[in-house]
Amino acid sequence: MAAAPVVQLTPVDYAVMATYFIAVLGVGWGLRRVMRTSTDFFLSGRSLSPWITGLAFISANLGAQEVIGMGASGAKYGIATSHFYWVGAIPAMVFVGLFMMPFYYGSRARSVPEYLRLRFDEKTRTLNAASFAVMTIFSSGVSMYAMGKLMNLLLGWSFDLSIVVSACIVLAYVLLGGLTSAIYNEVLQFFLIVFGFAPLVGLGLVAVGGWQGLSTRLSEVATMRGLPPDAYTHAWTNLDSAAHNPVGVEWFGLVAGLGFVLSFGYWCTDFLVVQRAMAADSMTAARRTPLIAAVPKMLFPFLVILPGMIALALGSGGSGQGLVPAKLAADGTPLLDAAGRAVLDYDLATPMMLVHLFPSGLLGLGVTALLASFMSGMAGNVTAFNTVWTYDIYQSHIRRGASDAHYLWMGRIATVGGVFLALGAAYVAGAFNNIMDLLQLVFAFVNAPLFATFALGMFWRRSTGHGAFWGLLAGTLAAAVHHGLTLPAGTHVGVKGGYLGVVHTYPSELAQTFWTAIVAWVTCFLVTILVSLATAPRPAEELRGLVYSLTDRPADESLPWLRRPSTLAALVLVLTLALNLVFF
Amino acid sequence: MSGAAGLDVRWPIGGLFAVLGLILAGYGIATAGHMDLYARSLSINVNLWWGLVLLVFGAALLLGARAGRGRAGVKQALDTAEGRQTEAREHQLGLER
Repeated sequence: MAAAPVVQLTPVDYAVMATYFIAVLGVGWGLRRVMRTSTDFFLSGRSLSPWITGLAFISANLGAQEVIGMGASGAKYGIATSHFYWVGAIPAMVFVGLFMMPFYYGSRARSVPEYLRLRFDEKTRTLNAASFAVMTIFSSGVSMYAMGKLMNLLLGWSFDLSIVVSACIVLAYVLLGGLTSAIYNEVLQFFLIVFGFAPLVGLGLVAVGGWQGLSTRLSEVATMRGLPPDAYTHAWTNLDSAAHNPVGVEWFGLVAGLGFVLSFGYWCTDFLVVQRAMAADSMTAARRTPLIAAVPKMLFPFLVILPGMIALALGSGGSGQGLVPAKLAADGTPLLDAAGRAVLDYDLATPMMLVHLFPSGLLGLGVTALLASFMSGMAGNVTAFNTVWTYDIYQSHIRRGASDAHYLWMGRIATVGGVFLALGAAYVAGAFNNIMDLLQLVFAFVNAPLFATFALGMFWRRSTGHGAFWGLLAGTLAAAVHHGLTLPAGTHVGVKGGYLGVVHTYPSELAQTFWTAIVAWVTCFLVTILVSLATAPRPAEELRGLVYSLTDRPADESLPWLRRPSTLAALVLVLTLALNLVFF
Repeated sequence: MSGAAGLDVRWPIGGLFAVLGLILAGYGIATAGHMDLYARSLSINVNLWWGLVLLVFGAALLLGARAGRGRAGVKQALDTAEGRQTEAREHQLGLER
């Protein structure tokens, strides 16, 4: 790309960035001597305090998809994006902390797939481990590609240099200090992202005239697009019908699809986040990890969604696109949708805000916060990948019974290999955009039914390995079929769906995604039950500690009530409810 | 707040933010009155003010880490009632590795 960069960084910006690089590498260096066993490397020796693992829990997820993506959704859907937090993430995080962590932590499984091995059988574990390993590599690659492109566009940096340098830094600190180093740096990156974006929200709100001013300006945009005036500033009011809100979904699809299936599926079963809690120093700490994480998480909409909304409201009035630039076709002309309106490049909403409001100095901090979000996401993927590869694939299929030192060595090799594969995936993403879309889609199919498998595994002792395996496959297949038979409005048959014939048209892609997830979940749930009933159950003795009804309840009563996970959970839920009501 | 490593996470984070605060606040002082630089940020010298915020945050973490030095060590599983319980259960189930 030869286009001139949007902004030039000055020496003070580079000084800020260099300080950050020194700090993350310093953390890895400071931790280099404590990696003696594979548990040290992969699970931090299960020795971290819940505050550290809690912040790492959200930070590992606070990758580019979150910071850039939620800003983009804020510009596209308005405050309704907060449903990803207040309906989606928070209830799921409370659930995993209260009900699922006792099995993950208590069973001493070293990974989520390993729990499946203990509870069900080898084939279910391998299915989960293989799809997870491939997924982490590709999502890390997609994220790297997005970063390289953004840095090139915004600052004129070389694409190759940006991704290779950031990949090398992540590689260096993970190799030096293993999961502990990744987690420590995630805590550091968490604070950097918060302090990098908080002034953006502050300045943005001042510029736009506070929440009041933002509402007024966004009501004009909403009217222009044929929506009720409060469509961007109320989260629930317009969810009665898919046509009344920018998300294009009604409340049932949202609550069931996003809130139940997708969010519980992600937060309760994704090893990337669960690994952080597994590194905690006790059962109580492991259970408190997601609950502590939920507190800042519920405030994130203000940090990551508001900039996108403000970007839409700021700048020249009348055009209805604010600071968000139009997407350009290959020949440099703006892309138009079916109605003749410019297609906006929403992913640039938050970066444009940075450039628009931050002077040199603070701009360095903002860009560094962006880099930090890319790196914490990448490190999260790499550490989850090396663990699943080493324990669930290498140790169980390639080389059993080797010494711990051998697996530690393998973990290091897997870290290097994972980073190189992710770099490769970043170039694949650049070369064949459609292939990546297709892969993302396949992952969505694989992930949607997962929560049904875990829920049945943990709470229904009659469910069997065959049931789980065939349920997962059937759920994935059902997702593919549903996707193949439906199409979001205004798109073409192909990677967006409809390849088996269009039976139903959804108002938006999100609506299609939510309903695909619902179909996959229900199918997996039913097939798992049916196949389980037809196959031989495992004796109760073998399931002790793995299933709810056969496991001793964690003894919270010995803790002061303020420190009990259930108290914390209740507090989190009440606050979340309050936020929903405030932005109803 | 110290982990297995014995490295209190507040040291590196506090250090980073203290240095970042010094850089930004210093730059803010050096550029005070540069109207064109701060036109973007609504004529507020955000470098100075935000730099001070970072400095205070970093310093607070460093002080906290200093105060907690030596106290927060590695906690072995057998040092807590809960850890002993978990170990006992694992022993019973033969889940030890």
